[in-house]
Amino acid sequence: MTSSRLLNLYTGAFLIFMFAPLVLMIVTSFNDTSPPSVTDWRGLTGKWYAFFWMDEAALRADPVLRALDRGRFVGCFGNSLQIAGIVVPLALVLGLSGAVMLTRWQSRANGLLWWVLLSPMLAPGIVLGLSALVFWGRIGVDAGMFTIIAAQLTFVAGYPMLIIMARLQRQPVELEEAAMDLGASPLRIFARITLPFLAPALFSAGVIAFLASIENYNTTMFAKGGSCTFATEIGAMARNPNGHPPVINAVGTVIILLTVGFAVTHALLQRRERA
Amino acid sequence: MIGKDVTLLGVSVTYSNGFTAVHPTDLLVRAGEFFSILGPSGCGKTTILRAVSGFVTPAAGQIKIGGQDMAGLPPNQRPTALIFQNLALFPLMSVRDNVAFGLEARGVSRRVRQRRADALLDLVALGDQADKLPGALSGGQRQRVAIARALAVEPAVLLLDEPLSALDLKLRQHMRAELRSLQKQTGVTFIYITHDQSEALTMSDRIAVMNGGKIEQVGTGDDIYSNPASAFVASFVGEVNTLPGRIIRQEGALAQVETSLGPIIARNPQNMPLGGSCVVFVRPESVQLQPQMPTNRFQVVLERRDLEGAFVTLRLLAGQGRQPIIAHLPNTGPTHASTSLTSAGFDPQAALVLPQGTLAHTGREDMPR
Ligand SMILES: Nc1ncnc2c1ncn2[C@@H]1O[C@H](COP(=O)(O)OP(=O)(O)OP(=O)(O)O)[C@@H](O)[C@H]1O
Ligand SMILES: [Mg+2]
Repeated sequence: MTSSRLLNLYTGAFLIFMFAPLVLMIVTSFNDTSPPSVTDWRGLTGKWYAFFWMDEAALRADPVLRALDRGRFVGCFGNSLQIAGIVVPLALVLGLSGAVMLTRWQSRANGLLWWVLLSPMLAPGIVLGLSALVFWGRIGVDAGMFTIIAAQLTFVAGYPMLIIMARLQRQPVELEEAAMDLGASPLRIFARITLPFLAPALFSAGVIAFLASIENYNTTMFAKGGSCTFATEIGAMARNPNGHPPVINAVGTVIILLTVGFAVTHALLQRRERA
Repeated sequence: MIGKDVTLLGVSVTYSNGFTAVHPTDLLVRAGEFFSILGPSGCGKTTILRAVSGFVTPAAGQIKIGGQDMAGLPPNQRPTALIFQNLALFPLMSVRDNVAFGLEARGVSRRVRQRRADALLDLVALGDQADKLPGALSGGQRQRVAIARALAVEPAVLLLDEPLSALDLKLRQHMRAELRSLQKQTGVTFIYITHDQSEALTMSDRIAVMNGGKIEQVGTGDDIYSNPASAFVASFVGEVNTLPGRIIRQEGALAQVETSLGPIIARNPQNMPLGGSCVVFVRPESVQLQPQMPTNRFQVVLERRDLEGAFVTLRLLAGQGRQPIIAHLPNTGPTHASTSLTSAGFDPQAALVLPQGTLAHTGREDMPR
C-alpha cells in the first residue's frame, strides 16, 4: 500500500519535473510580455507566432519584435532544412550499408567495426565539431554549410544504422537464401527482398536522422563558421542579456506539437502494420 | 522438366567452428528418382542439402549434377531448387509474385512469367489464391506455394527440407500423396529430407538412412525395413525388439544365437563369425502368440495390451529374465486377458542377426510400462 503510494508520488514528481518546463514554455508563448513570464500576465497574444508572417509595418511598430532580424532567422531555418536535406539521405545510405555489412557479412572484425561506426554517437558533440573544424581547416575547406554537413553526418548516420540493424536481424536469412536459390543476383535480392522489408525502418530512421540534424547545436556550433542554422540562431537569440524574446517559446511550442504529431502518427501506423 | 542425377563423391562438410557435420559420403541419386534422406535431428541432413544447393562448401569431395561438377558454382547458378524447412515465402509479395520470382530473376517478361506462375498455381490447386499474400494462406497452401515457386525455375533437382513437418497429420498424409504425384508428373529428381520414417517409406523410390553425419544404408523402403544393415537402421526405421546374445552355431545363411530366451535362430546376412557378440532384431509384427513351430519359442506373460485401432500392441515379458518383447497383432476383438501365461515366438526368417551398435531413440523406451 505505502510502497505503491510512494511509487505514485515518485511518478508524479517525475512527470512534473519533465513536463512542467514545457507547459510553462507553452503558456508564456501566449503572454504579451518580454522577456517571457508566467507570473506577470499581460494578456493573451498570438504575436510571438505571428512574428513569422506579420507585415513589415506591424513588425516595426512592436518594440520587442522590431529588434529581431526576421530575415536572418528564416534564412538560418532554411539552412537547417538544406543541411537536413543532404544529411538525412546520406545518413540513410551510410547507415544502411553499415547495418547490412554488420549483420550479413559476418567477419572477425565485426566487433571492432561496430564500435568504430558507433563511436561518433558516443563521443561528445563538441569533440566532433572541433575535430571537423580542424580537419577541414587543414585541408583548406572554410567552415560553413559543407563542414556542418560533414560533422553532423559522422554521428547522425549512427541512428539509421542501429534502427536498420535491429530490423535486419529480425528478417530470416532464409528469405535472402531462397531468393538466391531461385537465381536472383545479390542486387536483385537487395532491391526486391531486403529493401521492402526495411521500408518501415528506413522511414523511422529518416525521421530520427532529420530531428537529430535539425536540433543539433554543439557540433554544428563549432563547424558552422560564418553560416547559421535554426538551432544556432535560437541559441544566439537566447543569449540576449535582456532575456530572450518569447518568439523562441512560440517556436518551441510548434516543435513540441510537430513531435507529438509525428509520434502519434508513427504509433498509429505501427499498430496498423501489426494488425 | 527433366530430372538429373546427383552424385556425391567423398563429400564431407566441416563448419567454421570445426564441427564436422557430414563425414566423407558417397551417394548416387538417379535422375527422376524420389530419393529420401532419413535420419534423426542433427544428423546432418540439412547440411547435405545445403551442400548440394551451394550454400555450404564441402571441405572435401565432389558434387556432380547431371555429370557436371558443381564446385565453385553459387546457389543461383545451380540447376537445383531448395524448399526450406520453414518455406521462406516472401511475405511482402503476392502468391503469384512469389511463384514468378525465379522467372523474374531470369529476366522473363512480366506477362510470360505471370502466365507461367498462374499455370503452376493451377497445378498445385491454388489458382484462386494468386493475389493473396502468403500470410493469408493456410499451412498446406503455403506449402504448395513453396513447391510451385521452386518448380517455376524448372529445376533438374528439387531439394525438400522436411517440408511437411509443420503440418498436422491429416494434411501431411494428403500432401505426401500430392508430392509423390507431382514428382511423377514432372519427372524432376526429388531429394526429400525427413526424420519421419513412415513419410520416407510411403513416398520414396529409395531411402538413405543417416546417423551422426554418416549414411548407414541406401536402399528401397522394403530393403531398409526388412534388411537393415545396422543396429541403428533396424531400430530407427520402424519398431523392433532387440535380444543381445552370442553366436554359437552357423547353419548356412542362418545363425544360432545364445540369448536370455535360450537359443534363437535368425538370418545372418552379414556372416557374423562364431562366438561374436551380436544383437537379434525382430519386428513386433513378426512375433506370434502360440506359434506352431518349435524353434524360437518361449514362455511369455502378457503385461499390457494397447489398442491402436487396426492392430493391438502387446507388451510381453519373456522367459526367466522377464525380457520385454513387443508384439503387434491384428485386432480380433477384446481377447488376451492380461497376465495370462502363454507362449510366443517368431519365424527364423523374420529375425536378423546384426553387430552391436548404437540404437536409435524412438521415444517409446521411456513410456511407462
Ligand atoms: N552453421 C553451423 N555451424 C556449426 N555447426 C552447425 C551449423 N549448422 C549446423 N551445425 C551442426 O551440424 C549438425 C547437423 O546439422 P543439420 O542442420 O544438418 O541437422 P539436420 O539433420 O538437418 O537436423 P534437423 O532434423 O534437426 O533439421 C548439427 O549437430 C548442428 O548442430
Ligand atoms: Mg534440418
